[in-house]
Amino acid sequence: MRTRFRAAALTASAAALFPAAWAVIAAMPPFGEHVSPYGAAVNAVVPAARHVSNMVAAVNFDLRGLDTLGEESMLLCAVTGTVVLLRGARGEGTSGSAVRLPGRAVAQRSDATILVCRFAATLLFFFGVYVALHGLVTPGGGFQGGVIIASGLLLLYLGEGYAHWRSIVRGRILSFLEGAGALLFVLVGAIPLALGKAAFRNILPLGTFRDLYAGGTMVVVNAAVACAVAGGFTLILLEFMEETRAPETEREPGEGG
Amino acid sequence: MMIWLTGIMLVIAAAAGLLVVLSRDPKRQIFALCANGLVLSLLFFALQAPDVALSEIVVGAVVVPLLFLVALAAVAVARVRE
Repeated sequence: MRTRFRAAALTASAAALFPAAWAVIAAMPPFGEHVSPYGAAVNAVVPAARHVSNMVAAVNFDLRGLDTLGEESMLLCAVTGTVVLLRGARGEGTSGSAVRLPGRAVAQRSDATILVCRFAATLLFFFGVYVALHGLVTPGGGFQGGVIIASGLLLLYLGEGYAHWRSIVRGRILSFLEGAGALLFVLVGAIPLALGKAAFRNILPLGTFRDLYAGGTMVVVNAAVACAVAGGFTLILLEFMEETRAPETEREPGEGG
Repeated sequence: MMIWLTGIMLVIAAAAGLLVVLSRDPKRQIFALCANGLVLSLLFFALQAPDVALSEIVVGAVVVPLLFLVALAAVAVARVRE
């Protein structure tokens, strides 16, 4: 009875909404068509004006640098909030091993797993650095490089296990990277203001077209974003992994908040 | 050729999304989400957005499923302690 009523309601509302939905679908531009005049203008002007060949990075780090600063501070706030929430209930202790459920066998890692993870993590780390470094020349950039570095560090966890991973990946370095990246980004935006120019004005020499270090302030912003994203993402992963840590001593509930 | 590739990728992406919704066991759901992220990043790559594909492959296929896995583990641990 209720199922029937639901089916009838679904059919009626679908029939009522279909004309409107179809009107929108029919008015959409054909698949794959480039409709943005802004994109065409960027492609025409920016290679000569900024000496870089990755237009996405040029828009993110220079033309609309203020928007990216907003995103950067969102990332900083999100990471800070996550860390405060998770650490607040757990405390700051770092030693100890991962929690073990009683009655569940602990499988030993095979040597092959450890070896492959060490190789792959190293390769992934350097690939992340590569993607971040070439952000202004080829697709990629600070964000992509940063998340690749974070996932490379995570692969170490798979190979080494909780205790070793915890001794390799230090929370202090990660939070320093996150904060320093955000600060560097703010400085790039603010220093031109102090010199009496517009915020995010590209005040550094631009260099030769398609060179690895061409792009003026974009190089600095790219590096700042790479640091902040690598540090921030790894810090979030670390804090979540800490949730699986075995507690040193059983505390009373409500204590040590 | 390209349009066929895109079409096939879109169908696979829809199927992978359906798998996430239809699987009832949370652990299976997480791995379905992982596969969905992988398929989506391939789709972005086929649509000539390699930078978006790079972010999606890490965020969609590694970080988000991992956070869910850890959340599941935390729930299991909390249940044992009760």
